Amino acid sequence: MIARLAWMLARPGRAGLGLTLLPIVAFAVVTTLMLTVIGGAQTLWNAPGDIRFIYQLLTVVALALLVVPLLSLGGAAARLAARRRDDRLATLRLLGASTATVSAVAVLESGALALVGALAGGVLSLAVAPLVGLIPFLGHPLGALNVLVAPWGVVAVVAGVVAVAIVSAVLGLRKVVLSPLGVRMRTDAPRQGWIAVVIGVLGIAGASFLSSALGAAGSVVIMIVMAGAAFAGALALMNLIGPWLIGVVARRRVRSASTPAKLLAARAILESPKAAWRQVSASATASFVAVFAGTGAALLNLMNGEDLRDQDAMLAVDIRTGVIVTVVGTFLMVACAVGVTQAATILDRVEVNRSLGHLGTPLSVIERARLGTVVVPLLTTSITAAVAAVVVVLPLAGLALVLAPLSVGMIVVALLAGVGLVLLGLLATRPLQARALSTEPAAASA
Amino acid sequence: MSDQIPTSFAERAAAAAPNRPSVPGGDPHPVLAAYGLSKTYGQTVALGGVDLAIGRGEAVAIMGASGSGKTTLLHCLAGIVPPDAGSIRFAGPGGSVEVAGLSERERSRLRREAFGFVFQQGLLVPELTAIENVALALMVGGVGRREAEQHALGWLADLGLSGLEQRRIGQLSGGQAQRVAIARALVTGAPVIFADEPTGALDSHTSSEVMDALLRIVTDYGRTLVVVTHDADVAARCTRTVHMSDGRIMDAALPASAPAAPHRGAGSHHTGPQFGADPAASAPADAAPAAVARPEEAQR
Repeated sequence: MIARLAWMLARPGRAGLGLTLLPIVAFAVVTTLMLTVIGGAQTLWNAPGDIRFIYQLLTVVALALLVVPLLSLGGAAARLAARRRDDRLATLRLLGASTATVSAVAVLESGALALVGALAGGVLSLAVAPLVGLIPFLGHPLGALNVLVAPWGVVAVVAGVVAVAIVSAVLGLRKVVLSPLGVRMRTDAPRQGWIAVVIGVLGIAGASFLSSALGAAGSVVIMIVMAGAAFAGALALMNLIGPWLIGVVARRRVRSASTPAKLLAARAILESPKAAWRQVSASATASFVAVFAGTGAALLNLMNGEDLRDQDAMLAVDIRTGVIVTVVGTFLMVACAVGVTQAATILDRVEVNRSLGHLGTPLSVIERARLGTVVVPLLTTSITAAVAAVVVVLPLAGLALVLAPLSVGMIVVALLAGVGLVLLGLLATRPLQARALSTEPAAASA
Repeated sequence: MSDQIPTSFAERAAAAAPNRPSVPGGDPHPVLAAYGLSKTYGQTVALGGVDLAIGRGEAVAIMGASGSGKTTLLHCLAGIVPPDAGSIRFAGPGGSVEVAGLSERERSRLRREAFGFVFQQGLLVPELTAIENVALALMVGGVGRREAEQHALGWLADLGLSGLEQRRIGQLSGGQAQRVAIARALVTGAPVIFADEPTGALDSHTSSEVMDALLRIVTDYGRTLVVVTHDADVAARCTRTVHMSDGRIMDAALPASAPAAPHRGAGSHHTGPQFGADPAASAPADAAPAAVARPEEAQR
């Protein structure tokens, strides 16, 4: 009986088809990006010659940078799938389903959606391979065939995406199991501890000191270790400062908000600065990388044609290309994560937003508020991270700006393009919002 | 932004319905009058030719089983959804308006300026404080935040919520949250307040308190109240009950004398902030307070 009810509640109706498709699309995007990143990395991993080790090192760094936004995107896709499921599982609980039945339904449903999406992503990665193959590395385009991942790799990625979805479903299930009515109470807005900020500021100051002392390092190995420590330390500490900073900015904006859209946006951010940070934190990484590695690449390019060997000149060009690809790729993932998170938010807030519409609030006001919940954290994190990176590599950044303005300009353009991508991800959800708010509720409740 | 519903609406209404027959309700100059309202959703007939007039200062309860069309009727009267056929005439402070003939944008503006809403779950914005929720209704109409919050403060105090202004909705009880929703509906000075199952999620004691607050909309502030409810006790306290079945009105008792007097609490003689409905346009002869809000001011 319960099994039949579970199937009846789980199968998508005509009206709910869009809600079923959204998580599938999100999982497809995650899988495509993951396979594309791995495909590009495997090509560079097999770079020929005596600089192979450097390429492998840079590939590991790039992969490490891209893993965080990818996991964030995977988590957002899983949360979107959970949104569709929570109410129906609560209904099942009210009808007498056991915890085991509810858990099984959640796991099966999330796993099935993720599997369909991941398989679609596998196909999609084949479609984008020719485009990715055009990116020049090692003096020539990567080639479409070279960026294709081996079948066992595809299977592993698909399995990984399904696993993330299932784990996320199980973790999210506790709320439904504990509270069949699915009641969520919001109490006071959380505050961020200032100790984290002090540690963060001191850490970035330390990273800046390490960076400026690079010249005093006795050997290349020590220099690389110091640069790596400065880079990794600054990135880790940004995670401490980020949520606090977003909370401070939001609190100030709540006080000064003069329009409904600004007030709604600031309050929504303040509701969970950590969630706002998670949504766009990868943009901070991208901005930091753009300035940090971009400065290095620009200075390397300066030596191009002077006393560099051909191989070193190629490495300098490839580092710059790598920085741009990593920055744009990271922002692409942030854009996807923002799109997926916003789709979930739209579904989550449909009743409240519809009631605002009943009060006569124009859709444009609701949309401006939603834009603000993304743009304010995005610009706060991106600008702060870029400034932090400039502080860390201050003398070199100034030198690069003066001596290699073109290279610096290319990095800035990549950053702006990245921010534009995120805004596109946000705009892509506008039709969903319009559809959600235009549904006439009277039909169901008349 | 204009201060009131434009007179062109009235002109269009006059052209659309020059000689309407009388409709159930008895008031020769109703604040809301619907003629032959029809609405279908797919194969389902939600409204099958409804005629209804609602007088100024009335508290009208719309009752009926689930699926009888009562919420659809409320949504049509309030301009939330347009009817497939029929006419809805709203006699606002700025003139008569044919609601059914308005565009979506114009209906949105009409709701913002002339109607207030109270929903079953309150449907307040959970991240905002009580005072911000109430002020938001004014801010959407173009009122500055400081001024909007001043007026919101007055209405919250009037509804017995002093000291709770900075609480978020999750920190309020169900009854308190509904009174915040009532303050939000009143703060713009809207002459007509629509309430959709306002006590549906409350226990009987809290439900009674919320109905007290809602009925003061009529007795203290001279507004008109339209309530959709399943609760016979709630309906019994209104001036009139309209029973619906299968998208039609089965009966519509003529208005009784006055709504059942609310249980007066502290501060109930306060007439509210000087902001809102036009007394001449919306106050009943026997219940109007000396000074009630003007909606025109709210949009300034």
